[in-house]
Amino acid sequence: MRRQHKDPTNSNDQSDGRALRDVPVWDRAVRLFHWLVVACVTVAMTTGLFQSKAWFDIHVIAGSALTALIVFRLIWGFAGSTYARFSSFAYAPATILRELRNLGGNAAQHNTYVGHNPPGAAMIFALLFVLALLAVTGVSVLGGVTKEGPLAPFASFAFGQSAQLVHRVLAYGLLALVAFHISGVVLESVRTRGGLIRAMVTGSKPVPDHAIRAPATLARPALAGALTFLIIGPSALAIAHFAGLPPRGVPTATLTADYVKECGSCHSAHHPSVASRATWSAVMAGLDDHFGDNAALDQPVADEIRSYLMANASEAWDTAAANVLRAANPQAPLRITETSAWKSIHADIAASTFKRTGVGSKANCSNCHQDAAHGRFAPRGISIPQEKTKQ
Amino acid sequence: MISRSPIILALLVAATAAWAEPNAAQKIIFDQFAAQAKSGDPAFKGFSAERGRDFFLGQHTGGKPDTASCTSCHTKDLTKPGQTRAGKAIEPMAASVNPKRFTDAAEVEKWFRRNCGDVLGRECTLTEKGDVLAFLLSQ
Repeated sequence: MRRQHKDPTNSNDQSDGRALRDVPVWDRAVRLFHWLVVACVTVAMTTGLFQSKAWFDIHVIAGSALTALIVFRLIWGFAGSTYARFSSFAYAPATILRELRNLGGNAAQHNTYVGHNPPGAAMIFALLFVLALLAVTGVSVLGGVTKEGPLAPFASFAFGQSAQLVHRVLAYGLLALVAFHISGVVLESVRTRGGLIRAMVTGSKPVPDHAIRAPATLARPALAGALTFLIIGPSALAIAHFAGLPPRGVPTATLTADYVKECGSCHSAHHPSVASRATWSAVMAGLDDHFGDNAALDQPVADEIRSYLMANASEAWDTAAANVLRAANPQAPLRITETSAWKSIHADIAASTFKRTGVGSKANCSNCHQDAAHGRFAPRGISIPQEKTKQ
Repeated sequence: MISRSPIILALLVAATAAWAEPNAAQKIIFDQFAAQAKSGDPAFKGFSAERGRDFFLGQHTGGKPDTASCTSCHTKDLTKPGQTRAGKAIEPMAASVNPKRFTDAAEVEKWFRRNCGDVLGRECTLTEKGDVLAFLLSQ
């Protein structure tokens, strides 16, 4: 189909009988979906890329909302109105490539599509695919690393860590896709003088009569609504059920009273999972000069503490803390706060923060980590006392 | 109402007296120290809270420079919490505000052993421990 190039400078465009007519393209569900995705991706990207532990919950909520939106969109792709349906914009790879080549070539060869043009359609599938993968890897990180959510009873830390790498790569991939998507929309808007962005607000797109249309299909909102409910409802129940099961490799028992009494007098009682058996052995062998203080114990008590430590050291658990703190710093093998993992995790905390009266020192984990006694150290458990620094 | 005030006054006096007196568990521990001292030295005339005060508040040598005195961690106001070198609060030492103090003989011995080592570089003598106990129980 040959037609005149719609050069923006061509003022004859509107008077040559090829007037643009507003055609309903995006139904309300598609538009709502689109802008909700924009909002959720913005929130998830911001909270994810800046890695702020305080925003962790918001990141998870945005991710969960995105997952639900994707589920709905997949259903709407089969039950929505004409241009919401995947069948209306499922183009063969050859068509996509041809139209991509046309973009860079003779502008007169451009076809105008009422719905997505083939490269745009490919972008939609790519975005949906990457978002779905982000949801899957995200819930894997949550389960394996944070030990929360539906995969927490099954996912190992190692699995969660691998998922984290993929999640990160996908996030950058999504950023790139979003950049291309926006550039494509801007380019196409300029090229066709069509209000692509306006169309995603009002639902109607100004298109010429010769624009390529898809066969009209009726939306089936009741069916889509029922299906969405049938999938998300039971899924939510299953997620709540599995999220309520004991997470894999996470200590459930509280610290024993004797341990808290003997090892929590001078600093907070550290959960045994924050150091290896080798470290604890060395600590117990040198209690009479424990970081400069005499912390000697009577033999029966020392034996009891030692066996408790050996049974619950980092090797026995699969929490994030147990995994990352397992490797001691050879220069200071007994100091948990000198391990490279500890230092990098706490790198953004000012030295003065540790001197606050409510904190005391780096040795008082539980002053900031409300769940330290359980060895969890979840982002949600962090609450740094906001007191004035002392002299 | 007025007729009741002597009773209230009497109760107040009794309560004050009770605060100043060590409780039963503290008494047992203090008496054990005294008995031990007596068995070791027939001329033993009792511990001195006054000597205990000088010992507790004084500066010592032989221990670690960071902890030259008991007050390095416990502070001079014994009714207030102190702070460990690791920055954790230490319950007040004065028996009057912390009745749980000096009620467990093993704990008392454990902390004398550790802290005398850190402050003095040696174990404390029975007299020093008894004096400090007498002082802290009077606070």
